[in-house]
Amino acid sequence: MLEVKQVTKSFGDIVALKDVSFKVDDGEFVFITGQSGAGKTTLLRLILRDLVPNEGEILFDGVDISKLPKKKVPKLRQNIGVIFQDFKVLNDQTVRENVEIALAVVGLPRQEWEARVDHVLQLVGLSERADLFPSQLSGGELQRVSMARALVVNPKIILADEPTGNLDWETADKIMDLFEKINKEGKTILMATHHKLIIDKMKKRVIELKAGTVLRSDKETKSDEANVKSDSHEAKKQKTNN
Amino acid sequence: MSIHLKTAWGHIRRVPFQALAAIFVLSITFFVITVISVLTYASGKALQYFETRPQIIAFLKDEATPEEVTSLEESLRSDVRISDVNYISKEEALEIYKKATSDNPLLSELVSPSIFPASLELSLVDLSFAEDVINEVKKLEIVDQVGFTASLGGEDTLTDVVNRLRTITWYIRIGGGAFAILLASTSFLVLIVIIGMRMTTRRGEVEILDLIGATPGFIRTPIILEAVIYSLIGVLVGWLLAFLLVLYATPTIISYFGEIPVLPRDTLQLFMLFGIILGGEFLMGLILALSGSILAVSRVKTR
Ligand SMILES: Nc1ncnc2c1ncn2[C@@H]1O[C@H](COP(=O)(O)OP(=O)(O)OP(=O)(O)O)[C@@H](O)[C@H]1O
Ligand SMILES: [Mg+2]
Repeated sequence: MLEVKQVTKSFGDIVALKDVSFKVDDGEFVFITGQSGAGKTTLLRLILRDLVPNEGEILFDGVDISKLPKKKVPKLRQNIGVIFQDFKVLNDQTVRENVEIALAVVGLPRQEWEARVDHVLQLVGLSERADLFPSQLSGGELQRVSMARALVVNPKIILADEPTGNLDWETADKIMDLFEKINKEGKTILMATHHKLIIDKMKKRVIELKAGTVLRSDKETKSDEANVKSDSHEAKKQKTNN
Repeated sequence: MSIHLKTAWGHIRRVPFQALAAIFVLSITFFVITVISVLTYASGKALQYFETRPQIIAFLKDEATPEEVTSLEESLRSDVRISDVNYISKEEALEIYKKATSDNPLLSELVSPSIFPASLELSLVDLSFAEDVINEVKKLEIVDQVGFTASLGGEDTLTDVVNRLRTITWYIRIGGGAFAILLASTSFLVLIVIIGMRMTTRRGEVEILDLIGATPGFIRTPIILEAVIYSLIGVLVGWLLAFLLVLYATPTIISYFGEIPVLPRDTLQLFMLFGIILGGEFLMGLILALSGSILAVSRVKTR
């Protein structure tokens, strides 16, 4: 469903990504990891067409999104659920309204909103907080608002940038359980994180970036074989089990 | 649509003073525009009244047959210098006399229809033709006497009155129009400034909506709606104030101007006049709001 082909992205002299290639299949759960500044956020922004690569192609369902005309960008983004590291919630809207706005954006008829919103709020455990404003919520709760908003439109793929970035281990664990659940429902998930514990625990496919290049990736042979750890085999095993 | 309306309302509520400023300016603008429209209408009506008043009366001899009268009427009607011909029979002449002397019944009882001759009232296209027309009509068989009614006592002739009215009408149209344009431009600028400010304060929100796939139309709609709401409220308030003012003053105006129909006497017609003005102003307000906000929005977007 997603194929990144020899993508290079630089900001002036800074090369954020260099010759990055990988492929993600439908229903996969992929971690993108690497040190700070390795290019994880840049990669996700490229997929969201928030940035355009200098070289290479990004195929989403066979369409090269880097060449997508500006007019078609909203449609692309409506098919992608994004969970931002800094939440990006609307501060003057309640939790419910923050989730509803995503449905309004995709143009879902109003009468279908309530059931959908109730369902995702239930899923992320915010049913009781539906009428609160972001300023009244904790960090983890805000993270879950961001998640609910991404999930409510039923996107094909979910991009999550450090969704556990500023959460304690327990809360992060709970959030990860949620992602696991969503993934089991068939959603493709691409998650940028450097939370080692989580990656080890989840045993999913990992794409590791280092200074803008792919250090390892289970599917591609480009990366250094020696670096591939046992967890990637397990991830494959798990995938065949599913 | 309703989510955009909700968003727009949210913005308005959060900045009540900006909203008030916009609504004030727009209300004043449309109040003045309404008043100017009514003045234009009234001065036009007054002018029309004086312009179409009969200026020449040809009194007919009693022996004139109806056929002769009709044929004369017809030939006068086809004269390019004459804009209107009106036949007044003896009975109608008496009625007019009775009405004019109604506060003195003794006078009206003293007369009988036979002493009033039938007449033809002529309105001229232009008063400069008066002398020629009078001389020609005087020569006709069935015409007894010709009167020139276009002198209004003193030195004032109807020409003077009409000319003065023309000047006044012209001043109202030009002056009022210029004033209205000035006010409308002010409203337009205020709308642009407020909408521009809204774009800046909403930048974070715009960025988020953009990232979750909102189209530019989706993002702009509440902002444009906000301008439309200000504008429509402004129209409604300004128009209503002017309407109440005119309604309040109507009895005085009508009694002051007497038979000159500066305002429709009929309530329904008065309402219709104001209905038309309101319709025009809604359209104007809509155009003002749409063009202003779209301009403001596109200016900010191309940063
Ligand atoms: N808009 C930009 N302009 C200039 N340089 C940028 C820009 N965005 C990112 N970079 C640079 O690109 C590199 C990769 O940044 P990126 O945000 O992708 O890193 P990251 O892997 O997400 O890091 P972190 O784990 O800290 O979030 C960094 O060196 C960063 O300074
Ligand atoms: Mg990052």
